[in-house]
Amino acid sequence: MSGPLNDRILFEDVSKFYGEILGVNRVNLSIPPGITSLVGPNGSGKTTLMNLMTGLVKPTRGRVQVLGYATNDPEHLFKVVGYSTQFDAFPKALTGFQFLYSYLLLSGRGAQSAEQLAWRAIERVNLVDAAKRNVAAYSKGMRQRIRLAQALAHDPKVLVLDEPLNGLDPLARSEMIALFRTVAEQGCYVIISSHILHEVDVISDQVILLSNGYVVAEGQIQNVRSEIQEHPTQILVRCTRPREVAAKMLQDERTIEVSIHKDGHGLLLKTRDADGFYLALNRMALDGIDIESIAPADDDVLSVYEYLIGNEEVVR
Amino acid sequence: MITTATTEMTGSTARIWWAQIRAVTRLEMRKTFLAKRGLWIYVLAALPVFLFVGHALVSTGWRNGSEQLARRSEKPLTYQDLQAVKPGMTREEVVAILGKPPVNSHWTENRAADGNATVIAHENYHYSDGQNDLYVELAGGKVENTNIREGYSPGQNSVLFAGVFQFFFLRLAVFFGCLGIFMNLFRGEILDKSLHFYFLAPIRREVLMAGKFLAGLLATCTIFVTSEILQTVAFLWPLPPSVRDVYLYHNHGLQYAAAYVGVTVMACVGYGAFFLVAGMLFRNPILPAAAILIWEGINPFLPGMLKQFSVIYYLKSLCPVDIPTPPGTPALFALLISNSDPVSAPVAVLGILIVALIALYASSVQVRRMEINYTSE
Repeated sequence: MSGPLNDRILFEDVSKFYGEILGVNRVNLSIPPGITSLVGPNGSGKTTLMNLMTGLVKPTRGRVQVLGYATNDPEHLFKVVGYSTQFDAFPKALTGFQFLYSYLLLSGRGAQSAEQLAWRAIERVNLVDAAKRNVAAYSKGMRQRIRLAQALAHDPKVLVLDEPLNGLDPLARSEMIALFRTVAEQGCYVIISSHILHEVDVISDQVILLSNGYVVAEGQIQNVRSEIQEHPTQILVRCTRPREVAAKMLQDERTIEVSIHKDGHGLLLKTRDADGFYLALNRMALDGIDIESIAPADDDVLSVYEYLIGNEEVVR
Repeated sequence: MITTATTEMTGSTARIWWAQIRAVTRLEMRKTFLAKRGLWIYVLAALPVFLFVGHALVSTGWRNGSEQLARRSEKPLTYQDLQAVKPGMTREEVVAILGKPPVNSHWTENRAADGNATVIAHENYHYSDGQNDLYVELAGGKVENTNIREGYSPGQNSVLFAGVFQFFFLRLAVFFGCLGIFMNLFRGEILDKSLHFYFLAPIRREVLMAGKFLAGLLATCTIFVTSEILQTVAFLWPLPPSVRDVYLYHNHGLQYAAAYVGVTVMACVGYGAFFLVAGMLFRNPILPAAAILIWEGINPFLPGMLKQFSVIYYLKSLCPVDIPTPPGTPALFALLISNSDPVSAPVAVLGILIVALIALYASSVQVRRMEINYTSE
């Protein structure tokens, strides 16, 4: 294949079995540019999906294409794809710089170009001071960053990152998240898997929820929510007379549950019709109840995720 | 225009592949030469060198002793002089031929015969022509026994060299050395969980395999050709310079040395290709190694057609010195030693290359199928 045929990452009826063990089953996805998060508990198929996307494993059935490139064509695929895996092993006796430099030489680049790109990638992940040290002496966070640097080094169009924030301290996390956003804003595809759901929520343009090898929902967070009609919305209302508001809302059949906030200055309400609730609240405000603030209490991946695959499976 | 563009692209692709092969080779060479788990390969390669160095030291000691003995002789002796002494000769006849012995010893024996005690005088004479030593045992003034210890000569010792080369160096050192290096090219990285590093680069799997094979070949050739050269140096070391020059330049010595180096390289090519594919197909290297070792071992007993699918069949044909089968050798051993069905050198080289290409083709098919699934290893 000489060039990209489309602008999506496509999974067409993809299944992967490891012997008799299911990796993923009947996956159909079309991933657009931007930051896409793969969310699911251990063994849900996130890494398998990423390995399928990068040709490290081959589908038992179905077809995967990345921007039109077949995943069994690494020579062309990895010109547009960078993959930071979870595998925490490195070729022996290499410094951080040598690791990146060797990788870029493997890509067929000249020594000068490889050196420049290696240093640029090292700067992007803030590892300049440690670049000349042996990777074996790196901390977990540093190893994570040098893997990110490897994935970023050749300016790929598609960045696949398996648990990229693992082992990073809070400062490094925020730096990396900013980096992912910058890359995504440049029109790239950033695919992230993570167990740190709130961070994923904050940075994702879309999410793919996985459970036991199946895609249980996909799309933008809000779209995923609207796909799940029966999933109630939880809303936090700050007001002067919470008990009065609670009593009125309980008369509405769309209200599932109301509880007074523990500080006594608001209430938490679950409803199947958020829009209807907001209209009702407006009417109450006109009736003299002082509404200080209204905020969705659970409009993040975690709540959707908990709802879809059950609380017991959530890995925080 | 299209043709030109295609040609340019092909040229550019070939350049990139070559650059990638060099990059893989550089990485692999560093790992192969510095790997602690590969130390035994150096030991294996060094063993025949130690053997020949030891042999050279002993031979040099003997030669120095012989030269000193020859200097102490009454007259210069030749090998023919030493051979002229036969059992039954008298002491006087021996001294007439060889002169007074430079080293002698004597002792007496009380022998009882028919109730009478007889005293028999025993003497041992030691002569040398400077290279070969003659030991003469006399009893009662007559030669009872003679023994000539031949000195170090390249002609005779080249058979010893050929034996060590064929039966230790090729079949054990190079064989297991290639096993250790080529099997680990992929298998070692699967065990280290670092193979994905290569699979994440924009490089054809076949190009990666070629780079790794080249790295293995360079490593094994460096180790075993160096060993082979050192063995030759150790083999030639005890020879006097004049004898060495005659052997090297007028008696095929240089040709033999070059041939042994060539056979070593061909062995690395053949066994390397075999073990590269075996390392991809099998998790446990012992099983394929044992199978290949048995296959190579039973080669002399195989039908002609099957013989051609082994490396040792062609290597034996390339060896410059035949090992003679001593009279009385059992038929099975004789078959093992002799090369009953040799092929010409070009056919042998071609045969090894074809066998290697078949193995490399199988490797390229296998490497395209490989998946990263370390947990199953």
